[in-house]
Amino acid sequence: MAVDTDTDGGTVLGDLSSRVVGAVEERSLLPHVGLTLAILVMASPLLLAFVMSTQTVPEVYDITNLAVGSDGLSNYVEVLTTYGMTQYMINSLVMSIVVTVGKLAVSLLAALALVYYDFRFKNAIFFLILFTLMFPVPVRIVPLYELVAALGWSNTLLALTGPYLASATAVFLLRQHFMSIPVSLVESARLDDIGPITFLYRVLVPMSKGMLTGLGVITFIYSWNQYLWPLIAISDQNKQVVQVGMKYLQSVGNAGQTDWGLIMAGAVLALLPPLLALVAFRGPLLETLGLQS
Amino acid sequence: MSTRDTAYRSSLGAYLLLLPTLVVVGLFLYYPTLDTLRLSLYKTFLFGQNQEFVGLENFVTLATSDTYLTSVVLTVVFAAVVVVVTMAVGLGVSYLLYVVTSGKAAYMVAAIWPYALPTAIAGTVLLFLAHPSVGIYTYYLESWFGVEFDWFTDGWQAFLVITVAAVWKQVGFNVIFMLAALNNVPKSLNEAIRLDGIGTFRRLFRVYVPLMSPTLVFLLVMNTIYAFFGTFALIDLMTQGGPSNSTNFMIYQLFRDAFQFDNLGLASAQSIILFVVVGALTYVQLRISDQYTHYGA
Repeated sequence: MAVDTDTDGGTVLGDLSSRVVGAVEERSLLPHVGLTLAILVMASPLLLAFVMSTQTVPEVYDITNLAVGSDGLSNYVEVLTTYGMTQYMINSLVMSIVVTVGKLAVSLLAALALVYYDFRFKNAIFFLILFTLMFPVPVRIVPLYELVAALGWSNTLLALTGPYLASATAVFLLRQHFMSIPVSLVESARLDDIGPITFLYRVLVPMSKGMLTGLGVITFIYSWNQYLWPLIAISDQNKQVVQVGMKYLQSVGNAGQTDWGLIMAGAVLALLPPLLALVAFRGPLLETLGLQS
Repeated sequence: MSTRDTAYRSSLGAYLLLLPTLVVVGLFLYYPTLDTLRLSLYKTFLFGQNQEFVGLENFVTLATSDTYLTSVVLTVVFAAVVVVVTMAVGLGVSYLLYVVTSGKAAYMVAAIWPYALPTAIAGTVLLFLAHPSVGIYTYYLESWFGVEFDWFTDGWQAFLVITVAAVWKQVGFNVIFMLAALNNVPKSLNEAIRLDGIGTFRRLFRVYVPLMSPTLVFLLVMNTIYAFFGTFALIDLMTQGGPSNSTNFMIYQLFRDAFQFDNLGLASAQSIILFVVVGALTYVQLRISDQYTHYGA
């Protein structure tokens, strides 16, 4: 390789690392510096948002003031008690848990049928389910809205959760996982006269714990972060989820001064559940996405 | 009984197990999508109460509307910028994560957390930090670079701010998949390249990127779909499509026509156009690799 003849910036880095061979090279500081910089850039908006969530309105409007504010956590208390944040958070939590549990349960049953049964139209049905990946909400939003209204579901939990209870992704991954489980297990279950549902929750579910946890976290995060559909399906502010609640919070303030400290407190609160879920379950989450940690 | 799929024989049982999925899929996915196709051929009045068949008129209206065509161009440019920047940053970060040997686990969490970042929160936080009058980013941008930063009135600056927010949220997802692809490179190959003395960044582009190409195609498609569909909250919370329509992306125009102007037929025609976009992207991806068919919704 004619590395030496090049004179661009990449070569300087290249020479640096090719001079030191093997393990020594990997102890180079460069990756650490690069990663630290990237991480700081990505984290800085949140760190700043957190600092400012502790500030009073005058402190926030003193733009370069980066000290932890004199408001302490009172913005958090205020946004939770006075501005409906508690209700939004509960609504989001209920929606996300119902979607997560419902989607996993519905998809487990479907995967059980697709792997352990032989029936007509099996491949067609599987394809029909997979094909729904082509129908994101915006592609069907007008009739979906009308349908939910016609069912009398406007402003209900059903409207928020119903359309999300089936999942091509979950059915696909669970099907794939079931197919990797040894056939001998289902054979001995059959010999012991164990029915399909018992086989599902006594054998398949325990053997799929990692994948179910990973899918659960992915679904929870996805569900918690929904914005467009709740905005349309829910018009009653008390039933609204926390992401759309951020829109209501934007107008909070006095005498033309927006209370940004309070809004940042709301933002930090709305971020915490999915962030904590990611940190707590990063192992199964990453594994489900194909990354062995 | 030697194969898995004859373990249980009742066809009725299988259909019953599939019933919940099929009901949800039929009622909330197939029916509304097909009805969108029908509605796109109608003109609607009074919140859809009265409908009149107009054939392809809605599509003609869109094709001749300056507002819509501008929105299409803006969306395509936006998607291109988001895809390129997100993947460049993602590639850099994931490669650094790949070569780093100590503190890997901690770095990884710190680098991928934006996967959990709600778009609405990314939008709200940056709306404040880059706010033209009280934002700290704006303050330093203006005092360090001497530029006038007011994206509430300057269209391209608004476009830029939305892009930054969109990239910020999407990098984590890219890092996860890119790192997985890098980890799949055979260890023996690593030894060989190292002994060859090829420089670090040269290695990335000459060796790893080609090996990662199925993953990169998948991410290209996912990031494009994200730019088209997933950035609605940013626009709704930060710019409402403004100033003067400079961030009025297709998804936002669709939302306005459907839920602010009650023009359901015209909105449905826009949904169909977006469906064609998703279809084409998915097709491209399947043609090149079916490795990730399933990571959609």
